[in-house]
Amino acid sequence: MSSFYIWPDMPFLSIAVLVAASMIFLYLARTPLHLALDNLNDGIAGGLEKTADWIKSVVLKMQEKNRKVLLESNIAESEQKIAQEFKRVEASYTKHLADYPALHLKLDENITSIDADFKECGQVVPEAPGWNDAVESIASIKGSASGDRVIEKMLKELHKSAIDGEKTAIAEMQKISSKRHKILSSMAPAWKKILKAMSEVDTKISLVLETSGKIEKYMQEYEKVRSGGDDTIDMLSSKATKLFIFSIIVITVAGFGAFVNFQLIALPMSELVPAGTRVLGMHVSDISALVIVTLEVVLGIFLMEALGVTNIFPQIAGLTLGKRRMLLYAALLGIFFLASVEAALAILREHITATNAATTQALAGSVSTTAGVEGSKITVIGQATLGFTLPWILAMVAVPLEMLIESSQHVLSKLIILLVKLIGYLVGIIGHLLNTLMKTIIHIYDAYIIIPTQIGTLFKSKA
Amino acid sequence: MKKRKTIYSLLLISGVLLISACSDNKEYETAICTLADISGTYAKEKKGMVKIIKAGIVPKLVPGDSLILMSIDSNSFNEENIKGKLKLDYRPSQANQQKLKFAQTLNDFANNESSAKYTDISGAMMLCSSHLKSTSAGTQIMFIFSDMKEELKPGIKRSFNNDEFENIDIVAMNVIKLNEDSANPQVFRSRIKKWKKRVLKHSAKSWNSSLDPTEISDYIDDKR
Repeated sequence: MSSFYIWPDMPFLSIAVLVAASMIFLYLARTPLHLALDNLNDGIAGGLEKTADWIKSVVLKMQEKNRKVLLESNIAESEQKIAQEFKRVEASYTKHLADYPALHLKLDENITSIDADFKECGQVVPEAPGWNDAVESIASIKGSASGDRVIEKMLKELHKSAIDGEKTAIAEMQKISSKRHKILSSMAPAWKKILKAMSEVDTKISLVLETSGKIEKYMQEYEKVRSGGDDTIDMLSSKATKLFIFSIIVITVAGFGAFVNFQLIALPMSELVPAGTRVLGMHVSDISALVIVTLEVVLGIFLMEALGVTNIFPQIAGLTLGKRRMLLYAALLGIFFLASVEAALAILREHITATNAATTQALAGSVSTTAGVEGSKITVIGQATLGFTLPWILAMVAVPLEMLIESSQHVLSKLIILLVKLIGYLVGIIGHLLNTLMKTIIHIYDAYIIIPTQIGTLFKSKA
Repeated sequence: MKKRKTIYSLLLISGVLLISACSDNKEYETAICTLADISGTYAKEKKGMVKIIKAGIVPKLVPGDSLILMSIDSNSFNEENIKGKLKLDYRPSQANQQKLKFAQTLNDFANNESSAKYTDISGAMMLCSSHLKSTSAGTQIMFIFSDMKEELKPGIKRSFNNDEFENIDIVAMNVIKLNEDSANPQVFRSRIKKWKKRVLKHSAKSWNSSLDPTEISDYIDDKR
């Protein structure tokens, strides 16, 4: 510092002269320096501001693209759902309404039978002969009330004949009634059959209507998605995020399951695949165990694809029903085989563990007891069951895996957008801070040269 | 045609990467050498040390590991001092059988009443070091069961190479105190200190003289 002093013996005077000289210089160079600082400010802060604006526009484009992707994927999903539901409706119609003509014929036959029976029941019962009218006519003949014996005899004969006729008519009527009752009672089973057939028709129609109802619901959803409003986007975004979180949880749990599965078979695999080499620091036997676990997941994916639960590979979805069925059986057989292998390995594992423990005990010099035999049997059964069950559970991982792949596209791009947005805000803030800093520097600069500025102003005003 | 070339190139690169990713198992293996002093007063400790080896060291060996048993006598730098060698098979069942068989070797050694007049610890350490190095194991440990008092037979000279114990962890186990040690602990301390200085000077990875027999398992686990 002292090297800058004009008079090294007088530092204060030297500093004062330097300050004064710098003030005069800065005053004189005020305009070009102001311009330089302004340009620098424009360059840096302006550049940053433009960068922030560009980032904002990029964010908007990304958001729009994400929105389109979200809508398109959901439209495709809805269309797929509807197409699947149509297939189900077709299957439902084929299944439930296939025997409808036969049912209808049965119903017709029963109705015709009832109709015939009813007609038969409807036959008019023969009335008693018209004796009453005859008696009335004879009674109104002159002299009938005077005790004419001829008329009286005739009337008595008539009375007798009327009573006989009535008896015959009643007997005939009773006979006909009995016949009608018989016909009516024979109609009851036919009525029951009709009732049953109608009930069947009702059930089948309800099933068909239920399936059709789903289509209506999906169509409403489809319409809503196609409209692409803000509410729909929010709803779809929330749905995708929810799916993503849920599938992450399920996949994590499945990951732990795979780890348990791996631990269960890694040790016995070293008995089957003994090797003195490692790949990426892992025993070849461990890699073999890992391959088995991975194969289970892969077979599970094929199983779910063949069942039509997932739709990861369009080639599988496009296969004919027969080929898909073949794939399904192959996947099932593969998983069954691996599950059986794992169960056997689990038993072997228990055997190795028991041998290890026995060896350690023997080396330590203690006598092994048989107290743990029962316990070890339970352990063997438990491990074998676990070894057989875990592959089937792992096979199910295909469903959350598909969910994760589908939802991650949206969620990840949402996260990227958030990150880019954050960078944009940061660039904006830095730009603003630099702008303020440059302005402050200019103000400090002006403050530093305040004395020559004031003197200059004074001279200018006098002049 | 160009596409096919690209595929072949990719396959070739993948193959090369896979082969280069393959490594020998040796660097993950552990080789242990146990030196058993059968000279002077320490000869009485034979059964005790065999018990420690059987209960503490052998069970900790995993498939691929190796164990050598050597005796310290008047002239230890001799192949005849190797009393037993064990290289565990990679199959766990075979490894267990080998362990049981080696336990019998240890028992035979314990029951053998031969003893030596002089104590050539350095010679045994040199022999042990060369055997450990020949295994190329990633972890090499030398357990010395001795009072650590060296008494060389006249005419025998022992000097270590600078890298004699490179990559070897050395543990002086079950170091019993001699009468002179009890009379003056500084004698014992300076003896142990001298050994520590000597082995570390000749590139030993570590030195330990206060390991309890019950801590052997943990020690081996730590060193792996």
